[in-house]
Amino acid sequence: MAKEVFYSGCAAAAYGAKDARVEVISSYPIRPYTGIMMELSKLVANGELDAEFVLGEGEHAQVSIAYGASSAGARAYTGSSGVGVVYAMECYSPAAGGRLPCQMAIADRALDPPGDFGSEHTDVMSARDQGWIMGWAESPQEVYDNTIMFYKIGEDRRVLLPQFCCQDGYFVSHIPGKMQLEDQKAVDEFLPPFNSPHPLNPEKPINHGPQIYADQGSAIDVQRAMAFEGLPAVIEEVVADYNKQFGRSYSPFVDEYMMDDAEIAFFLQGGHARTARFAVNNLRKQGVKAGVARLRFVRPWPTDAVAESLSKVKAVGTIETSTSYGGATRGGNLVHELMASLYNVPNKPLVTSFMAGLGGEIVTLDMFYDMAKVLSGAVKNQKVNHSYWVNFEPEVPFRPE
Amino acid sequence: MSKYSIPKHLEVPIGACLPSPVKEQPGMITGNWRTERPVIDHEACTTCLNCFIYCPDGCWHLDEKTEQMVWNADYCKGCMICVNECPANCLSTVNELEFPDGVIRLEKPF
Repeated sequence: MAKEVFYSGCAAAAYGAKDARVEVISSYPIRPYTGIMMELSKLVANGELDAEFVLGEGEHAQVSIAYGASSAGARAYTGSSGVGVVYAMECYSPAAGGRLPCQMAIADRALDPPGDFGSEHTDVMSARDQGWIMGWAESPQEVYDNTIMFYKIGEDRRVLLPQFCCQDGYFVSHIPGKMQLEDQKAVDEFLPPFNSPHPLNPEKPINHGPQIYADQGSAIDVQRAMAFEGLPAVIEEVVADYNKQFGRSYSPFVDEYMMDDAEIAFFLQGGHARTARFAVNNLRKQGVKAGVARLRFVRPWPTDAVAESLSKVKAVGTIETSTSYGGATRGGNLVHELMASLYNVPNKPLVTSFMAGLGGEIVTLDMFYDMAKVLSGAVKNQKVNHSYWVNFEPEVPFRPE
Repeated sequence: MSKYSIPKHLEVPIGACLPSPVKEQPGMITGNWRTERPVIDHEACTTCLNCFIYCPDGCWHLDEKTEQMVWNADYCKGCMICVNECPANCLSTVNELEFPDGVIRLEKPF
């Protein structure tokens, strides 16, 4: 029977992994994701989950263990935060190139310097070009659901790719929310055991990760590109199935809030979307036609869905939560791909980016109101800057509490 | 159907997972990477097979006729993991220069 609980994002991820019946877990502590492993180790110790729980000597080893387990045909689970995510960087491309659909839970944390525990998406956004599926949840419920859905997507024979299942550190990972755990039998039915096309097997010896000739390099890369080409259709299928089976209403790629008649829109991913929706409610009361478009997947980037959603508005601002120093807009990462998605659309909106939510900063309602002012001004003047660093520019000034 | 077509001669199985050749490949000799090698004292060896299990390159095996461990000089890279793992302390590390057939890297670097 489905069960209603009050869980943090960390517990939600752990129970998602448990209900997905992961077979090998590799762990190494770093906050805030470490709560996931604490929960999972308890489940394994109590006998509620039959899995190998392996301690890595670091994140590089953690992902290597998941790589090995996935090669052997097991459903492998690992995770990290912040500097741990980038320490494992070498292992991401081999897992994707080897087409090993292990999952890595991410609870975002800022990178150093100096030591910073706060939430920021730069950690795993730095790995967005390594061939992994990547998407953000905004609530514990979505973390749980994504954990199960991502395995189903990644293990599909048309896909076979590893997945970053991301949530904001603290804002999602450590704030409990009411959520529903699904019936194990129903989850089993939705997500059958992983059936690897190339498991390690002494009866039929194979090589994983062999040396290749230089001119085969592109041929392997185009294989990965092909998997990504077909990925949006698989995601739509899996999300629709999940919605149907468990009574959810996820949009596969872009979660829209009051976008139908919106003139300005906030475009963002993760937990800050909840504040954005509150801000939009208040802005609407003042007659500002604002909306929120929340991105659920960064990889594959849903070009068509993003273009369709945001060509409805006159101005859109990304709330970046990650950095891309010296990038085309001198802002974050989302804006580059948002602009690229909209470039060939006839009625494209004005686009800007707001640098906010970095290093664990809370993006407040006041900040959203200032950003809305910039966007409304953009519509009026038909002009906008590429980026605004919130708190540090006159249009979006610092506002003491 | 995909819009890409890969020429036959560049085709690679998914994930580049290939059938293993199972036997030794003379084109991939790695023994000349060594600077030192493990030497076994058969008297002390208990054939516990730790070296066989731990060797990352499969360079130890048990000869069932002689009941002795056999070392593969062509592929051992000299990592000495076996020496570290041997519970009977029957393996020792010896420099390649000590052997007439030792790997002499200055003369033959590759």
